[in-house]
Amino acid sequence: MGRLRCGWTLASLLGLSSALGWGQDANGIRRTADGKPDLNGVWQAMNAANWNILPHSAGPGPASALGAITAEPPGEGIVEGGTLPYLAEAAAKQKENFKHRWTEDPEAKCYMPGVPRANYMPYPFQIVQGKDTILMTYSFAGAVRTVRFGDPGKAPADSWMGWSVAHWEGDTLVVDVTSFNDQTWFDRAGNFHSDALHVVERYTPRGRDILDYEATMEDPRTFSRPWKIDMPIYRHVEKNAHALEFQCIEFAEELLYGNLRHGKGESK
Amino acid sequence: MTFRLFSLTTMAALAALAQSPKPAPRAADGHPDLSGIWTNATITPFERPRELAGKEFFTPQEALDWEKGHVRNFDKRDDIKGTTADVTLAYNDFWWDPGTRLFQSRRTSIVIDPPDGHVPALLPARQKQLQEEAAARRKRCDRPGCGLENSGQPGPADGPEDRPLMERCLSFSNAAPMVSSAYNNDYEIVQTPGFVGIDVEMVHQMRRIPLDGSPHPASDVRFWVGDSRGRWEGDTLVVDTTNFRGETQFRGADENLHLTEKLTRLDADTLRYRFTVDDPTAFTHPWTGEVTFVKAKGLLYEYACHEGNEGMTGILAGARADEKKAAAPGNR
Amino acid sequence: MKTTLLKVAMFGGVLLAASAPAIAHHAFAAEFDSNKPIKLQGKVTKMDWINPHSWIHIDVKNADGTVTNWAIECGSPNTLFRHGLNKDSLPSGVEIVVEGYMAKDGGNRANGRDVTFTDGRKLFLGSSAGDSPEGK
Repeated sequence: MGRLRCGWTLASLLGLSSALGWGQDANGIRRTADGKPDLNGVWQAMNAANWNILPHSAGPGPASALGAITAEPPGEGIVEGGTLPYLAEAAAKQKENFKHRWTEDPEAKCYMPGVPRANYMPYPFQIVQGKDTILMTYSFAGAVRTVRFGDPGKAPADSWMGWSVAHWEGDTLVVDVTSFNDQTWFDRAGNFHSDALHVVERYTPRGRDILDYEATMEDPRTFSRPWKIDMPIYRHVEKNAHALEFQCIEFAEELLYGNLRHGKGESK
Repeated sequence: MTFRLFSLTTMAALAALAQSPKPAPRAADGHPDLSGIWTNATITPFERPRELAGKEFFTPQEALDWEKGHVRNFDKRDDIKGTTADVTLAYNDFWWDPGTRLFQSRRTSIVIDPPDGHVPALLPARQKQLQEEAAARRKRCDRPGCGLENSGQPGPADGPEDRPLMERCLSFSNAAPMVSSAYNNDYEIVQTPGFVGIDVEMVHQMRRIPLDGSPHPASDVRFWVGDSRGRWEGDTLVVDTTNFRGETQFRGADENLHLTEKLTRLDADTLRYRFTVDDPTAFTHPWTGEVTFVKAKGLLYEYACHEGNEGMTGILAGARADEKKAAAPGNR
Repeated sequence: MKTTLLKVAMFGGVLLAASAPAIAHHAFAAEFDSNKPIKLQGKVTKMDWINPHSWIHIDVKNADGTVTNWAIECGSPNTLFRHGLNKDSLPSGVEIVVEGYMAKDGGNRANGRDVTFTDGRKLFLGSSAGDSPEGK
């Protein structure tokens, strides 16, 4: 009789704590009051995808004067199949991008990185999961995505971080992202897209501290077929983890406006 | 008879309920839920105008009269055509959105403490420092190559770092504290049990407010919107912010700015926001402002400022063109 | 300079006491020259609905029959989005009239101080008075 009562109390306590978002289920997945996975927290990918989403060897960086500090580490890539199905003209443009990557990469200009690149930049980001809206706030360039459940209507114009609409499929958060401009790159190797890009992301919690992340890219003006990336995203588990804002505009101004500096010679 | 009376009373009560604002919703953890899209656009003056000295609130009629007389129309320009004032007002009225109403509180100023509705004086040392900085900047404009700033004064334009923070898309004075500007006065709050995020549309500035009881980082770590830590005091969210970059200079504040903000959701459509500026090396004493947020129409939209900052290119190019013109043989 | 500031204050009514200074993201007077007013008419070739300022590009026929494409700097599109407008609201080919001031550096740019259709109607909405987002 005593054991039954004890078990009942424990179960109701677990239920209560789950309802208040404090609970973890049998798989260690945290859940919100409405039973969905609780993705709140500070997250970061651990791979070399921001250098090049395709498999690549180590290589020199932009500044030999800084030695190995700016050199490129090797990476096994995150693209399923290991190649990108560029259309012929787009393949040529990617090679052109690659040639001028140290000055043309929008990351160098401190421009917002777009999706999915923002998720594999080497800096933390934070998921703030409300009832109807999820804010994804990234350290780099203070980039932010507003992810809406329900139907927010059409995007009024193109944007850097896209127009994100989400729904749940079981325990997977599916985010449909459209209305990108054509200004972002997928990585530092000049892999790029047009403003026809359509991304579908899937975030599936694996236990408490890992998200299995997949994203499918479709862009008929750049690629002959859709392609997919696949990588884990890890939770920052240090006590009081925070995603600090990395505002980089002041470090990119010389690159952008240096030719218009007083005393630089010919005016524009 | 009793039944008919009862249903009439119920209907009257229901009608009354329908007219009064709905109460503030609560989150699953019992705290008021501040989530939503809000706007603080207003024509309430920041400081109390001299002619309203001693008057803390408008009467309802005075408020209506004030609103009639103080809504701007940027298309009225016949008497200023051809002047820098006309250039400064930039474009048609429909692009602007500075607000058309006073706060529903009918306050005559945003500043509520000190009671005279004015920002306290700066400390003499701080005043002197700012004046010397401004004089040094003006002196650099003894030669060509400057560009007018929004202050109306010419300012150096040797490089982007010479220009005001707003022109560089680095910091707008509407995030910490959250006071309105000329347009895009929209904010989105997403509240969770351990964290509150406030997406400030203007320049996508993010107020990150952990509720985990953690301390501010060391003073070496500084941010454009400072570092915020929040806690609940009853139904009010109290946000403590320090670690500001000194360059932000909100109304003359410096890097020692300590901002305390209090957010209370009064009802479903209204959020009362009070902010206290405490900066012992800048102001003679702390001061407090009150802003009323109301539910905004529509969504928040991306404001990618730096990415599209053709204006910076135009300003620097304009300064270089002025220099070239001044250096031309006939003009020297 | 003093006269200009006084004019600004008078024009704006209570600019000096206002809570929200009537200023654009950057000083247009640093980019455009008040001594070089211009009036242009031309067909829209495209509109960039971007921040901090949107740009309307128009093909203007010159007196000698050649065509010059001008870039007209306007306001933030977000205010318009909130009124239900979007990137399809100004189609290419529409003829507009622009009154503004030319860029200081001599480029084919001007600010759209007043932009109308050829019949004089303002390009987008009328006065924002009474149309505030507070919804009151």
